[in-house]
Amino acid sequence: MAVLELVELEKHFGGLPAVDGVTFGFNDGEILAIVGPNGAGKSTLLKTIIGIHPATSGTIRFSGTDITKMSTHRIRKAGIAMVLQTPRIFGSLTVRENVVIGAMFGNPKGVSESDAYEEADEMLAVVGLSSKADLAIDKLNLHEQRYVDLARAIAGRPKLLLLDEVMAGLNDTETASSIELIRRLRDRHGVTVIWVEHVMKAVLSLAERIAVLDFGRLLTSGDPQVVMRDPKVVKAYLGGKALPDA
Amino acid sequence: MVPYVAVAITAVILSLVPLWIGDSRTLTGVAVSGLLFACYATAFNLIFGSTDQLFLAVGALAGVGAYTSAITSDRLSLPLPLTIILGMIVAMIISGLFSWIAVRRSLGIIFTGIVTLTFSLAFDNLLLGQRSLTGGETGMVIDAGKGAFFRGQIPPYYVFLTLLIGFLLAYVAIHRSRMGWAFRALRDDQLSAELSGVNVAKYRIYAGAIGGAMLGLSGALWAHVEGFISPATFTFVHVDVQVLVMLVFGGIGTLLGPVVGSAFFTYLGEVLASFSQLRLIVEGVLLIVLFLALPQGVVGAIVIGITRLRERRKGLP
Amino acid sequence: MTAAILDGLVLGLQFGLLGVGLTIVYGMGGVLNLAYGAMAVASAIVVSVAMRSGLPAVPAVALGILTGAALSLLLNVTIMRPVYRRRGDQRVLLSILLTIGVAFIINGYLVWKLPIEALSLSIGGDAISILGVPMRVGSLLASAITILAGVGLILFFRRTTAGKAVRSVIQDEVGARLCGINPASVRMLIFTLSGAIAGLVAVTRSMTSPVPVSEGFSLTILALLVTVVGGLGSVKGAMLAGLILGVVNALSSFYIGSYITTIVLLVAAALTILLRPSGLFGEYT
Repeated sequence: MAVLELVELEKHFGGLPAVDGVTFGFNDGEILAIVGPNGAGKSTLLKTIIGIHPATSGTIRFSGTDITKMSTHRIRKAGIAMVLQTPRIFGSLTVRENVVIGAMFGNPKGVSESDAYEEADEMLAVVGLSSKADLAIDKLNLHEQRYVDLARAIAGRPKLLLLDEVMAGLNDTETASSIELIRRLRDRHGVTVIWVEHVMKAVLSLAERIAVLDFGRLLTSGDPQVVMRDPKVVKAYLGGKALPDA
Repeated sequence: MVPYVAVAITAVILSLVPLWIGDSRTLTGVAVSGLLFACYATAFNLIFGSTDQLFLAVGALAGVGAYTSAITSDRLSLPLPLTIILGMIVAMIISGLFSWIAVRRSLGIIFTGIVTLTFSLAFDNLLLGQRSLTGGETGMVIDAGKGAFFRGQIPPYYVFLTLLIGFLLAYVAIHRSRMGWAFRALRDDQLSAELSGVNVAKYRIYAGAIGGAMLGLSGALWAHVEGFISPATFTFVHVDVQVLVMLVFGGIGTLLGPVVGSAFFTYLGEVLASFSQLRLIVEGVLLIVLFLALPQGVVGAIVIGITRLRERRKGLP
Repeated sequence: MTAAILDGLVLGLQFGLLGVGLTIVYGMGGVLNLAYGAMAVASAIVVSVAMRSGLPAVPAVALGILTGAALSLLLNVTIMRPVYRRRGDQRVLLSILLTIGVAFIINGYLVWKLPIEALSLSIGGDAISILGVPMRVGSLLASAITILAGVGLILFFRRTTAGKAVRSVIQDEVGARLCGINPASVRMLIFTLSGAIAGLVAVTRSMTSPVPVSEGFSLTILALLVTVVGGLGSVKGAMLAGLILGVVNALSSFYIGSYITTIVLLVAAALTILLRPSGLFGEYT
């Protein structure tokens, strides 16, 4: 069953389409990677889903509810969380307090402060940052800050996680650990993951399904190994050059 | 617990001030006005310091409270407590409306400042123009407050000290609640706050409305305690510029910054009173020097200092 | 009606040029100079004092404009330096706070030393009839100077190398830097120019109504309104906004009268900001 459905979704900026009539269903519990050349509208698609950019036209349905016109905070409470490419953490708060915010406000039910603290500690344990909970957030490196952002996103137990190039700028060990963490989130917590990524190695080792965007349109989708050999994709994506590791 | 202790210490220190200044009526008047400005600055701190909304209508909102209460009590003979609440509510609604507009039109700091500034100026002109209702620039004498428990029986100083302590306690309570978490999040990063599920618009409007209510209440009480108000009491130059300067000096977004700032500038004004012409120049020089030397304000700098000391003691970097 | 509109245009031209001086500084460095009105008044007072001590009008006026320019230059090389090290909202905020301090100092000094000084340049001659309306020579001269200054500024921005450098920095600071333009020196130029404009407006304004020592704050507010209505950073927008607000001002004082005029003006400004947050001209220059 599709947990998230896009119907003829369009997002224009000053008349230029960034997302151009995308119709697609995301399956419950899958890890799906959205790939495509720079400027294909991948990030814009995620930001339109979560309401940062209001959709120009079309419909977004989440678990059967129309969320097209909802504001970001309501969509978050309804069960969709997002991690942006550059971690936007709360600079004046500690690591734990950053996650407490997510636990407190990301949950559709009102969560008391003490419950939020408990939840935050649990989420920090999931991402493996319990030992750094009391540090000021700027003492952490990029990789760790992304994990804090991720912990903040999964606090309140969203059903759907949108990840925007969360492996950009990481070294090999960090990438491997991120892959392992995302897989674990899905396996243990049943989160559906929609993930925009440029790091192809990571996509091919983690994604169960791939959707290819080009000029704001959905080019094709399906099994990673099959999709990445599709001549249409090869042409759009790399201008005909061979794919790495595919 | 620390913030409540800080408020308690402040209350004790401020309640001893009358012993120090003695029977002088002039000095008492100065001290009362200092407390009033501390109340204004605390309200402004909630709006600007906690949620980044630059409301340049502090004086005007207090004026809304004062004139609403004065007119409804003196001209319409409504019961005094009711008119004070009315003044508070009208200021709250207008202020909340500012926030709502700023949120809806996504006005940044500067535009919010300018829209509220135009309100201040228009309100001032309205007071000057509606002579039959407000007495114009000569002001209006308010009789309704005579015989009220807070006029005569309690010295005005303690009326406003109580109000200030009330505001500070409210400030602490708000910041320790869910709303305080939302404020911290939206001040740090509005987009991240939204992504974490914080309804940024709602909490901005809350801050605007609560701050507006505080301003309206301060203004209404002032009208009845003093028994006289005039447009000059609430102008942008007399109130907003002063409050902004006091708050930034004391420390934006700190609990006691407003109190420290207004105490300092009230004291300075008194010291310079005999050279009144020099006052503006000295204030100007001080402003520049202090903003450059202590961008986080006095209280902000102290808090940062303490935090560093603690970290060093814990052996953290 | 015609008389009211003509009066409005005379006033509007002054408003417009006043706004231009403030808006170029914002467009250039993203800072607001709230000492702007105080600097204009300081220039006017210098002219007045110079003329009282026997200097002829033209050199006195030149001295006044130079004062505005010099004050502004001084501001740019001293307290604006730390401001430019900040970014975005922080930068604007610090510039506001520091220039409030500067305004205090200038106002304080003038009120202390010359509390009753005011500049009022009376231009003699019989009224000249324009569209059947007799206009005072002072108003016409003030308007002519303002139009000349406005056209001069536009030519400066469009035609001269320095002007083009300014525009390039406004559009793309990094790009301009790559082309060998130093944003800091362009900022200095603009700041000085802004001070000179402040001085000039004070002088032309004094041809129609006296400019007293206490005028500084209201001039700043007026400039701010014009700037915001015209779109922060837009020269064309400021000129147009000045004209519109001037005419609105004259018409409403003609038809409605008294204090309502100011309120109408303020409401008009607030509405423009709300309906078009980017101003009449959202883009630069």
